[in-house]
Amino acid sequence: MPSLEFSKLFVVTGLALGGVYALSGVGIVVLYRATGVLNLAFGAIGALGAFISWELVNNTGVPDWIAYLACVAVATAVTFTYGVIFGPLLAARDPLVKAIGTLGLALILLGTMSWKWGQIAGLSLPLPTTTRSYTLPNGFGVVNWTQIIGISFGIAVTAGTAVFLRATKLGTAMRALADDREITATLGVPVRRVEAVAWLGSGLMCGISGLLLSNLLGLDIVTLTFFVISALAAALIARLRSLWITLAAAMVIGLVTALLTPFSGDFQTLSDFRTMTPFVLAIVALLWLGRHRTVTVTRTAR
Amino acid sequence: MPGSWAASIRRGTLVRATVIAALLLVVLLAVPAVTSVYWLKVSTSVAIYSLAALGAGLLYGRVGMVSLCQIALLGVGGWVMLRLGYATSLPFPILLIAAGVITGCIGTLIGLPALRLSGLYLALITLMAAAAITLVFSKHDFPNGGPGFWGAEGIGGTNVQRRPSIAESDTAYFRYTVIAATILFLLALLHVSSKPGRAWAAIRESEPAALAAGVNVTVYKLWAFALASFMTGVAGGLLAGSVGVLANSGFPTSDSLTLLAVTLMGGIYSLWGAVIAGILFKLLPALLQDWGLSSDIATILFGVGVLQVLVTAPAGLAAQVPKDLANLGRLIGRLFRRDVRGQPT
Repeated sequence: MPSLEFSKLFVVTGLALGGVYALSGVGIVVLYRATGVLNLAFGAIGALGAFISWELVNNTGVPDWIAYLACVAVATAVTFTYGVIFGPLLAARDPLVKAIGTLGLALILLGTMSWKWGQIAGLSLPLPTTTRSYTLPNGFGVVNWTQIIGISFGIAVTAGTAVFLRATKLGTAMRALADDREITATLGVPVRRVEAVAWLGSGLMCGISGLLLSNLLGLDIVTLTFFVISALAAALIARLRSLWITLAAAMVIGLVTALLTPFSGDFQTLSDFRTMTPFVLAIVALLWLGRHRTVTVTRTAR
Repeated sequence: MPGSWAASIRRGTLVRATVIAALLLVVLLAVPAVTSVYWLKVSTSVAIYSLAALGAGLLYGRVGMVSLCQIALLGVGGWVMLRLGYATSLPFPILLIAAGVITGCIGTLIGLPALRLSGLYLALITLMAAAAITLVFSKHDFPNGGPGFWGAEGIGGTNVQRRPSIAESDTAYFRYTVIAATILFLLALLHVSSKPGRAWAAIRESEPAALAAGVNVTVYKLWAFALASFMTGVAGGLLAGSVGVLANSGFPTSDSLTLLAVTLMGGIYSLWGAVIAGILFKLLPALLQDWGLSSDIATILFGVGVLQVLVTAPAGLAAQVPKDLANLGRLIGRLFRRDVRGQPT
């Protein structure tokens, strides 16, 4: 068993990791609440933006800040285009079918990235915030500014979106849309326009997350694309509804994962399988939450 | 009238069975005769991955449940096959059945949440299970004759999984795999066309209605998971025999997603869809590489294919191709008739 002093060093790492989970988890829940689409391509879209940034930084003479903006712009454009074309086409379908649609997008992006950048090893996209760090008091170790921005961004997006969905007219329209598209349309809400705004916002979040994640996790096609599976755990614990529970779950998952790291000796297995934490917690939480399942009759979705 | 109707049905079934048997014979005899060792191994993989697609297709197309852990279960089947193969001297078919049964049990365990969850949540839970299984593989690797429960003694071992004595060569093993796959396809057909198939269809259409009709939803859902996992486990066992040595890199989570994509493209409502899925999954990337193109193009095509299937052709290529061919035939026939009458085309 590691000592308390030693474990304290991993608290910050855990919170930073939790911030990373929260970034993606909250981004996924926001789009789901607004459009009913679970975007499995969230990671792949951000990764594409990050790789285009890397291309601009390393193979062209553009200033770094333009390259970083390009990451956000590309991710926003891809998400928006997909949403505007396939959102209405799949609008009447089951949430599962909508999610599989985004899986198609993820495969297209994964194939494209592997084709273009798959042969180049050891890529990295340094951000100016990574080189600056801050030493925390009471022996909690060192944290860099990218980690701080990651955590703050996760919290800010959660708070901002929660307020937006609750307090604004557009947010209310988005919630209504996610609940029942046809009834919302009959009430006079311009559903396509509202959906387009939701996809645009989600794209922005994708781009910013992609930039931060490529720095925190490394610029790797598969890691960035499939990190979404771990991040989904937090969203699932919140049953894809509550933004605040997603944030809290992400922080708990990050903390548990990091605090299991120093285990050794008889408890080495805990350390070895610490990356399994999101999956175990999500499966247990979902089974617990679904223990009183009732059969409901709903309109048949195709 | 009913008599002639039944006779025409019987005749139709007989014709179909004869065509399938002839096709199978051609595959068993012609493929090894005209292809090199490389393409023979690719063809063996096609048969193996068709089985994995069959499991995924059965679950989605027949019961309406999506499993995103089929490739991980394929790895479980391979692991069990290797472990038992090194630990015992049991005959190959018994090892295959054991791999299927143990994978079936693990698959049923993963399917247990299906009793409480459905649709999107179930798909995501299976995706998490796939990621967890892949993590175990990456920590312990596949058995290669080493000591202990995990049976792996580092990289570089020269041990390989033995093949059945009647199928030591690549050609014989290809035929062995195709015959084993055919038996499992027949098992699936037997299920689909009898009581379980009707129960699954009822559950897929409406679970409350199925419950009201007296269908034991719990048993039939778990049965579907057990059957699909059994098939995938046997496929994993066949893969172990084909390749000899397995590595965790052969079963990434991304492949589970790709398998779902090709299964949808092939068609989830027809057993032929699984065969097409196997061809797409294994033959298409190999062909692209042979033509000097990147196999990543296949991944892009699968993504485009999924979107096309979801938007325009939910029954996949298995239903779309015959329909398109029939339309083409009608069009050509109409043009020909107009030509004969001397009318302008």
